Amino acid sequence: MAQKLYDKLKHSIRYWLLRKLPTCQQTVEKISQSMERSLSLRERINLKLHLWICAWCQWYMEHLHLIRETARAKPEPADFVSGPGLSNEARERIRRRLTNQN
Amino acid sequence: MNEPQGTSPGESPDPGRWLDDHGDYLFKYAVFRLRDNTAAEDAVQETFLAALKAYKQFEGRGSERTWLVGILKHKVVDHFRRAGREAPLGEESDEGPAHSEFFERPEPWQGHWNNDYAPNEWHATPAELIERSDFWKVFNDCLSPLPQRTASAFTLREVDGLKSEEICEILSIKVNNLWVMLHRARLHLRNCLELNWFRREE
Repeated sequence: MAQKLYDKLKHSIRYWLLRKLPTCQQTVEKISQSMERSLSLRERINLKLHLWICAWCQWYMEHLHLIRETARAKPEPADFVSGPGLSNEARERIRRRLTNQN
Repeated sequence: MNEPQGTSPGESPDPGRWLDDHGDYLFKYAVFRLRDNTAAEDAVQETFLAALKAYKQFEGRGSERTWLVGILKHKVVDHFRRAGREAPLGEESDEGPAHSEFFERPEPWQGHWNNDYAPNEWHATPAELIERSDFWKVFNDCLSPLPQRTASAFTLREVDGLKSEEICEILSIKVNNLWVMLHRARLHLRNCLELNWFRREE
């Protein structure tokens, strides 16, 4: 009984907060900015509360951090770009230029 | 002390061998950042020319490739500086898609995630992803539809880890523009990775 009442109360608070707080669209922009600058106290509180009630934005933030952490682990350039690399034509042009220079 | 690699001190430089040994590597490094084949080829050529001039200072200390990548980094930044000066970001600049369809919902929930685009849980760690070379191909393809400057700003920030101020100076943009670009790149890339990598992995 008490559990049921608690759940109902929680649901109402969440619903009310979601209406009061910045939307998901505004929140994802703040999440991105939080990776660039320190947010003001008000922005931090709004973000914390929004994340508390919104799993989607929570995942969004986790994903941005996962992308950053993965990208900064310095993958080899060959992994990013498929194909052989320099075209034969470019290779020969550079070779000629370097020979002239020598 | 590092072992001298390739040419030993005192020997004359061999740019033909540099081209054979490191040309493709340097090209891929440059093309991922510049997103333009011609510009990447030019950067590689300028790197070798600069390396010939600076060869005395190198003299086989450390890895030849690390030394060349160090020069190439500067050439890539030079290219961005030139491009930023030649085509300053105008009033109606294109920072990338705003993807407002991600947040289309009937009232009263307009502005909240649309179910079709809402994030799902990803079951992955950086350590696993780094090992998957096919992940990086998807990553690169996902950046391709973005405007070149937005993709470059994202790469400088998230791959190379440059500071916001440095990127603004290099690309001749204001910090507010940079934040919009990074936000749009992240919004787009996250969704694209989810569709083309994480949902397929399941």
